[in-house]
Amino acid sequence: MEKPQYNTDIVKSFVHSSVLWGLVTVLVGLVVSVQLTNPELNFPPYFTYGRLRPLHTNAGFFGWVVGFIFATFYYIVQRLCKVRLWSDKLATFQLWFFNATIVATAITLLLGYTTSKEYHEMEWPIDLMIIILWVTFAVNIVMTIIKRKEEQMYISLWYMLAAIVGVAILFLVNSAAVPVSLFKSYSAFAGTNDANVQWWFGHNAVAMLLTAPPLAMFYYFLPKSTGVPIYSHKISIISFWSMIFMYLWTGAHHLLWTPVPDWIQTLAMAFSVMLIAPSWGSVINGYMSMKGQWHQMRENYLVKFLILGITFYGLQTLQGPMQAIRSFSAFIHYTDWVPAHIHMGTMGWVSMIGFASIYYLVPRIYGKELYSIPLANVHFWLALTGQLVWSISLWIAGVLQAGMWTAMNPDGSLTYTFMETMVEMYPYWWARTAGGALFFFGILVFIYNLFKTVRNGEKTAPLTAIAQGRA
Amino acid sequence: MDLASILYLGVTFGLFAIFAWIVIRTYSRKNRDKNEIAKYRMLDDD
Repeated sequence: MEKPQYNTDIVKSFVHSSVLWGLVTVLVGLVVSVQLTNPELNFPPYFTYGRLRPLHTNAGFFGWVVGFIFATFYYIVQRLCKVRLWSDKLATFQLWFFNATIVATAITLLLGYTTSKEYHEMEWPIDLMIIILWVTFAVNIVMTIIKRKEEQMYISLWYMLAAIVGVAILFLVNSAAVPVSLFKSYSAFAGTNDANVQWWFGHNAVAMLLTAPPLAMFYYFLPKSTGVPIYSHKISIISFWSMIFMYLWTGAHHLLWTPVPDWIQTLAMAFSVMLIAPSWGSVINGYMSMKGQWHQMRENYLVKFLILGITFYGLQTLQGPMQAIRSFSAFIHYTDWVPAHIHMGTMGWVSMIGFASIYYLVPRIYGKELYSIPLANVHFWLALTGQLVWSISLWIAGVLQAGMWTAMNPDGSLTYTFMETMVEMYPYWWARTAGGALFFFGILVFIYNLFKTVRNGEKTAPLTAIAQGRA
Repeated sequence: MDLASILYLGVTFGLFAIFAWIVIRTYSRKNRDKNEIAKYRMLDDD
């Protein structure tokens, strides 16, 4: 069969955009963490915690993560389907429109235009831009899959399709709003219904942006990096479908102990616990794929990122269901435990897989060896240490906070004032900033290594060696 | 039990039936080996 000429230019461009927005995300994250310990560093009206925090989360989700989703999906889909991308022009339009959308989001958030819905703060004109962007992406991926020359669809393609369909449905429903001016709209839903829809969106954005796409990448890049196939394609298919059937019911676990109907909360709690099975199906499949290959954890920097990534996914999907249980939620909800949980997911799971994917892609799409494997290892340890310091310090802070909030005197009055609990948080918040700084230095090392690879990397080594991270 | 509850239960059982069908189909004697072909073919997609 004649080898297709794949479009790698679009992959390069999305890698550049993603890495740029990743840098912005972590930098702004570092700034907002310092603003919590040093409130005098808030500069109203534009550079306050309230405006920069949504910039941090949206740049992270929609710039960094969606950026490398676009890059990796366009790389993977062409190879798994053994055809060139359906439309190069559409992909180029998507690249520019993607960056324009992120810039518009950043500007409007700093100007204070917000719907106040977490992870969906953008006002309705930007919602429209995102819908155009996603439809463009979906059409290109789906059409490429339709005209594929491979009969069977590898598991990564299933996860890609789920992400595309899932995000479209979630975003459309949660965007339903009545515009009253160019930059102000009101949700189409009211009261508890609005909260329920918002967290159905919020939690499933985690499923469809932060779980399905990284799993697509993990299932593709792990066997490519080790040189051996995944342990079981059948287990991956069953894990996929059970995740799809279970995930969409879990959003209301964000609303335990609220006026949302009790049965919805119980349903969300039950499905959250059941979700451990498909999540660990993928984790075990990943670990079993390393059978006889564990030595590569020492020798292959790509495998380090990928296996640590799936390990954090495993930990995340045990901790998440635990938090979804009413009694535990009553203790830790609204404390610093929760950001520690989500950052284990974003820094530990999603970003580790993103780093591995980009490290895999850059030498291949530029036809050059990675500039420095020792630097990639330094990046790995900075990212791992940074993430652990970040999350562990805030888990301790969250338990301390919860204990102080619920402590009572014999007469039934609260033992501590809210301000006293805040003062106790300071050492942990500084530790969080230190963890974020380590992660940020890791990103600088990552960018330097990629830059030197593109500029000075040697054109040698067969592609398979480059791909397997040993060149 | 009102009509809404019956419908809700029906949808739940319907989804479960679809999932059970996927599991049976994936592990059926006919498809068991065929379902593993993709993991070998993807290694050679460059």
